[in-house]
Amino acid sequence: MSQKSERRGIHVDQSELLCKKGCGYYGNAAWQGLCSKCWREEYQRARQKQIQEDWALAEKLQREEEAAYASSQGAQSQPSLTPFSKFEEKKTNEKTRKVTTVKKFFSPSSRTAPKKAPCEKVEKVSGARERHGEALLRDLRGMFTQPWEMMSPTEESHEGKTPSPSISRQSSIETDRVSRDFVDFLKNLQKPGREIHKQCRAFIENMANKKDLGADELSECVQDFYQNMSDRLMTHFKGSTERVERVMDQVEKYIMTRLYKNVFCPETTDDEKKDLATQHRIRALHWVTIEMLCVPVDEEIPEVSDNVVKAITDVIEMDSKRVPRDKLACITRCSKHIFNAIKITKNEPASADDFLPTLIYIVLKANPPRLQSNIQYITRFCNPSRLMTGEDGYYFTNLCCAVAFIEKLDAQSLNLSAEDFERYMSGQASPRKQEPELWPQAGPGGGGGSSPGLTQVYQSLDLLTGLEARQERVLEGARGLESDLISWQESVEREVQEILEKYPLEIRTPASAIDSDNVENDRLPPPLQPQVFVG
Amino acid sequence: MSGQRVDAKVVMLGKESVGKTSLVERFVHHRFLVGPYQNTIGAAFVARQVQVGDKVVTLGIWDTAGSERYEAMSRIYYRGAKAAIVCFDLTDSSSFLRVKFWVKELQNCEEHCKIYLCGTKNDLVESDRSMRQVDYHDVQDFADEIKAQLFETSSKNGCNVDKLFEKVAEDINNTAFQHITEEQGVDLGQKKNAYFYSCCNH
Repeated sequence: MSQKSERRGIHVDQSELLCKKGCGYYGNAAWQGLCSKCWREEYQRARQKQIQEDWALAEKLQREEEAAYASSQGAQSQPSLTPFSKFEEKKTNEKTRKVTTVKKFFSPSSRTAPKKAPCEKVEKVSGARERHGEALLRDLRGMFTQPWEMMSPTEESHEGKTPSPSISRQSSIETDRVSRDFVDFLKNLQKPGREIHKQCRAFIENMANKKDLGADELSECVQDFYQNMSDRLMTHFKGSTERVERVMDQVEKYIMTRLYKNVFCPETTDDEKKDLATQHRIRALHWVTIEMLCVPVDEEIPEVSDNVVKAITDVIEMDSKRVPRDKLACITRCSKHIFNAIKITKNEPASADDFLPTLIYIVLKANPPRLQSNIQYITRFCNPSRLMTGEDGYYFTNLCCAVAFIEKLDAQSLNLSAEDFERYMSGQASPRKQEPELWPQAGPGGGGGSSPGLTQVYQSLDLLTGLEARQERVLEGARGLESDLISWQESVEREVQEILEKYPLEIRTPASAIDSDNVENDRLPPPLQPQVFVG
Repeated sequence: MSGQRVDAKVVMLGKESVGKTSLVERFVHHRFLVGPYQNTIGAAFVARQVQVGDKVVTLGIWDTAGSERYEAMSRIYYRGAKAAIVCFDLTDSSSFLRVKFWVKELQNCEEHCKIYLCGTKNDLVESDRSMRQVDYHDVQDFADEIKAQLFETSSKNGCNVDKLFEKVAEDINNTAFQHITEEQGVDLGQKKNAYFYSCCNH
């Protein structure tokens, strides 16, 4: 490869072919005369630098903008939004969104209408507030950033629930990154690495032509490919299972990231219908309590409820991952949190008798998006050995079990009478006593009563109204303070004026020198001298 | 082929509070736990290696929820299991009735799964004969009928626990070898190392 550019040359010195860094390996013109290792280091450094610069720029712009907001009268364009959108890193993207959300709350004009309903509501509230606020008091805004940021309504949803406008671009960036990582990884394997890459590419192209196949056929294709690949690797690595597994993990990551769009919840299946059915089912079961399921978890303990929240977050996060293994990792993390919660409550390690009910409870509380699709996807496209044996497989099986239980759940499985079960299901009664009549208008007519999501929305709105009132009070206080200050200033001015009038300023000619005034000094007696008495 | 491993799934079945978890705890950590204990966060899934001759067999032991309300789901658990340890409490005759249910299920759905019957809490019976509620001969007859092995264990003193799991590992190892010979018969020409098919595919 290295001779490509030099082939026509008459004489090539050995030293010219070597890596410019002088590491002793051969360089390559395509890598600016560096060897592969040095080139990668160089490239990584440049990339890191670029990312850091971008970050710095973003932060600078943000600061500038905040400063501009604080001093100016508000309604200005948002200059920092455009550079923000350029960012590659997902994290940055999330941060940006958070920042813009926060800004939206305070933006006096509602021209940039947000897409989501809760956001709109907030906007209205903030708009109303804004009208009350005066230009002078705008400085107070900085004080409120923190609480608003914390309860940003998009915070949870942009984890993957709601498709954001940037999602397609983001995914293509992710694909690129995964492809790059894959190539980097395979470089270490040298020749077989190239072979693996070629095969994977061929397979992906091949799969692109099979879009209209059924999900089971697609699954079979992928599984066959895994099988062939691991067979080959097994011969190549002379039976070192660990190395084969490592390569297979990368292969799975690469292939499934590429294929995800086509094979996740494909149109040929009724996965989507099942998703909706499960979602409705879970929503209808919102009234199921910890006691009914015999869940050994006490949410009164802060540490426990913390673990419960983390478990819920993890199981929801599963939908945002693309690689089956990553999805499994989410389930495993969720399970670990559950184990922690049980352990803290019961003070002893959990057995399956404790774990399964708790997982069911978590799934009911989380209502994870596209649950059935995700389960189907993992079953179809995950490396089968992982599902059958390892720890991940165990937790996944439990999740499947939990879903099956939720689907089949009846009065008997909750130790309820059939009548009670019916009444709860139809929304005529609620077993929970602590939160009735709080939002009597919350329940959508008929159906499954007030869903937990809706209650939450109302609770959030309640909170918002409370906050608005509080802010109103603060504004009131500030206004009072302002008028106090103004009247105080006036009174001081008046007083000063009065005093000035009373004692008009007389300017005398200044004395020439201090000592020249003291002519009398010479007549004073001399200062006392210490005297020594003897005896 | 020394030092190579076989991954096998072993499910624990049995009514609530027959001592499935204690059995696993005893096997994995060689201890019997009374009251609060701290070191493990969960005993629902454990992996443990067992030496069989010159090979190491990795047993992935799956605990299952024994409550009747999850009975309908138990099928999901034992799918693809190599062995099932069906537990019952020697001092509780109702727990043995449930054993029959699982055995039937296993025979219907998972014919390659080898069944082991395990009577637990043997120490209680040893100390007081009148505690025994399940007749040894009845169980032995049933075990013969379904061609299962029978063990009476005590997680408290460790009696028979290691023996049970060693037997499980040994049987898994033997069947794994059968698979190799079978598969080599099919595609001997192409693949030198067919041993691993048995662990990756099944």
